[in-house]
Amino acid sequence: MGWGEWISESKRYIIGTLVLGGLLALVPFAINFDMYYLLILSTALLYGVYVVAWNIIGGYAGQLDLAAFAYIGLGGIVAAELFTIYGVTPWVGMFVGAGVAMILAAAIGYPTFRFGIKDVWYALMSAALVVILNNIFHLPELLGSLDHYLPSKYGWMYLRFPTYENLYWFVTVTLVVAMLINLKISHSKTGYYLRAIREDELAAEALGIDVRKYKLLALMMYAGILGFMGYVSIVIQGTYSYHTFDSPNSITIAIMGIIGGLGSIAGAFTSAVTLKIIGEYLRSTLGASIPGIHLLIYGLLLIIVGIFKPDGLAGVWVSLKKKFVKKNVRGEKK
Amino acid sequence: MIDPSLVANNVIDGVLMGLLYSLVALGLALVFGVMDIINFAHGDFVMIAAYLSWLLAMAFWLDPSIIAVITVPVFFLIGVAVYKLVIEPILGAEPLIQIAVTVGLGYVFQNVALGIWKAEPKSFPNPWFNFSIDLGPVTLTVAKLMAAAISLISLYLVHYLLTNTKFGLAIRATSANREVAPLMGINVRKVYAITFGLGIALTALGASLYMSWGQTNPYLGQSFSLLSWVIVAMGGLGGVVGVLYSGLIVGILEALGTTFFTASARLAVVYIAFFLLLWFRPRGLFARR
Amino acid sequence: MSSGKAVLEVNGVVKRFGGIIAVNKVSFKVYEGEILGLIGPNGAGKTTLFNCITGVYTPEEGHVVFLGQEITGLQPHIIAQKGILRTWQKVRPFKKMTVLDTVTVGALLRIKSVRKAREKAAEILRFIGMPEEKFDVLGREITLIEHKLVDLARALATGPKLLLLDEVAAGLRPHEMEELANVLRKINKEKGLTMIVVEHVMRFVMGLSNRLIVMHEGQKIAEGKPEEIANDPRVIEAYLGTKPL
Repeated sequence: MGWGEWISESKRYIIGTLVLGGLLALVPFAINFDMYYLLILSTALLYGVYVVAWNIIGGYAGQLDLAAFAYIGLGGIVAAELFTIYGVTPWVGMFVGAGVAMILAAAIGYPTFRFGIKDVWYALMSAALVVILNNIFHLPELLGSLDHYLPSKYGWMYLRFPTYENLYWFVTVTLVVAMLINLKISHSKTGYYLRAIREDELAAEALGIDVRKYKLLALMMYAGILGFMGYVSIVIQGTYSYHTFDSPNSITIAIMGIIGGLGSIAGAFTSAVTLKIIGEYLRSTLGASIPGIHLLIYGLLLIIVGIFKPDGLAGVWVSLKKKFVKKNVRGEKK
Repeated sequence: MIDPSLVANNVIDGVLMGLLYSLVALGLALVFGVMDIINFAHGDFVMIAAYLSWLLAMAFWLDPSIIAVITVPVFFLIGVAVYKLVIEPILGAEPLIQIAVTVGLGYVFQNVALGIWKAEPKSFPNPWFNFSIDLGPVTLTVAKLMAAAISLISLYLVHYLLTNTKFGLAIRATSANREVAPLMGINVRKVYAITFGLGIALTALGASLYMSWGQTNPYLGQSFSLLSWVIVAMGGLGGVVGVLYSGLIVGILEALGTTFFTASARLAVVYIAFFLLLWFRPRGLFARR
Repeated sequence: MSSGKAVLEVNGVVKRFGGIIAVNKVSFKVYEGEILGLIGPNGAGKTTLFNCITGVYTPEEGHVVFLGQEITGLQPHIIAQKGILRTWQKVRPFKKMTVLDTVTVGALLRIKSVRKAREKAAEILRFIGMPEEKFDVLGREITLIEHKLVDLARALATGPKLLLLDEVAAGLRPHEMEELANVLRKINKEKGLTMIVVEHVMRFVMGLSNRLIVMHEGQKIAEGKPEEIANDPRVIEAYLGTKPL
């Protein structure tokens, strides 16, 4: 599956993604560089990256991973510590963070897939992984109980700015890259193989697919993207501590992925960005009187989607399109 | 360097807590074993029941453990209602959907609790049994001792229910083969509703007992959920006895984690053990088959 | 027919489950280009034997040799890569993938380019007689006979050298069985593909196979041409009380 073939086959989607990125890049002008909205939008797009990355392991490979912030936290803290202690620029640190996150993914994933752990047990292990890292980094030898601050240095060199538009654009670019990576996977042998594994592992194996290898590959790609973005997460949070290994938000990412529809890039993006924006809006308006209102809504939505529309937003879209197209075909062709 | 009486005290504490964990995990094991339902919100029922125990204890000014008389039947009914509303539609659905829906349910519970009671922990200010007795080198908290004893008795009662009653036979028949059970005159839906109700009632008992010394917050359920699943993983298909032993192991591991590392690292010890267990003994320590 | 070289040799394979011997010292050969029927009543050990050949189980004793190469105990995906493909007694569809995508998964084993793999998949689907309008239908929306055909097509798309069909006729109506048998004959004739057909629907397998092996209680009790087997007293005895001939 060469690049040339991919580009010619997926031209429509690639152009669509680039156009989306271009439009997103114009948003700061539309909202007059309002700091508050830019912060919310940067966070929303950051979640877009997370959920699009989650789509690789959760959507394509069908493994319900609940460990997003294990990789985000680890990658972010590695980059932040390199920056704070050794003065290493985050541009290097983020790649190191991604690498460390991928090593962790390989260390956990190899035995896990080797021993055929899946479904509920995989979900539990991944949930436990966040707690393990949270507890370990809580030890006084590591981060202890304190909040840690990044050095007060600003500029593109450190990816930290007094205002948010540059960070917003950076996240937009990574989102486009993450979506293109997904697109490439989706239309390549790896994507076909991962979907086959999601649908039926035994049948996939009998067709000559090395199930363990492909699952591990999916997990490492997911962990790598998250690990890379960890530093951005810390920049937006302002501080890092053992709390960066955040269990509830790890679950939120999986929730957004499922609501978007497994294996759908557009669904993952739409679900993450809208839910996050609605969430932040509710938090800022009702958060003081009803804390957690946005999470309550995520939970309810997830139950509804799970029971009535297991294919998520993408499924709703497909059935709408089918209705529409069928009418068209009857009306025009026949 | 580490005081042996401290170790002994912590281990005893771990055993007592372990019995309580077994009680809570038994509810999950029933639901998973009999109905093949993956419930990720199990611990969140403990959390809600803990708040209810606290509320009623405050209202009647009685020890929360006494409140179990109310919470257990109420949560049985809540369990049946949740079964009808949320669980029945996902019977037989793929694991991912079951996990998603129950994760959503847990999220709803947590954030309802957060919305109503906010994040500060709640505890009953006038507990009756939260005092210690000295037995030579070790000190025992009476409330925990009581909770452990009641847990053990309840485990036995459930075991008796499953092995010696007609209803227990229906549960076991359904769990063994849900296609054949109806042919034997068993109403599977009814068995499921009651099993789920029973599983949830056990979380309420655990919660009320726990509140006679502990405190609750909206996130109490997360650790109860994960710990219960660890116990079910260890217990394998070993029935009530497997759950009992596994709960004790988890309680002791947690105590050792507290002793040799710090209290905040105790869960890491349990979960690392869980990883090793899944990798090397995926069928559990007490699997019957 | 059976004069060609052996594609598969099974030598003294034993598989136990606890105290039960599911497959007991079974040996046979499959020759290039033939359709070998493997029959026997339920619980005779046919599916277990299949699983020993395809790597789902590792036999406790004996050897499986494929094209002169020992494959005993290799992992299922490696055995598939070597050219032994199978279909499933209970269909295992990729429910949320389209028919064409499903078959493309198979084609990708030997073809790197997704575009070419899709072309190959379409060619195979046409070959087995799947109508074009079904290509874009999801796996969960097709009928049982279509499932069986897709199962067959995705295995064929890998370019196998030996095809194992596990109770492929199970659940089909008589005219569907006839349709399937014709497809199998066509594959055998036009592609020269060697096949082992596990069945307990006797009529289906009798008309299809060049040669038959009969298993009973884990052992091979007879081997020969269909008409010889039909009159073999041991076979009749094994089948009595289970399924009439």
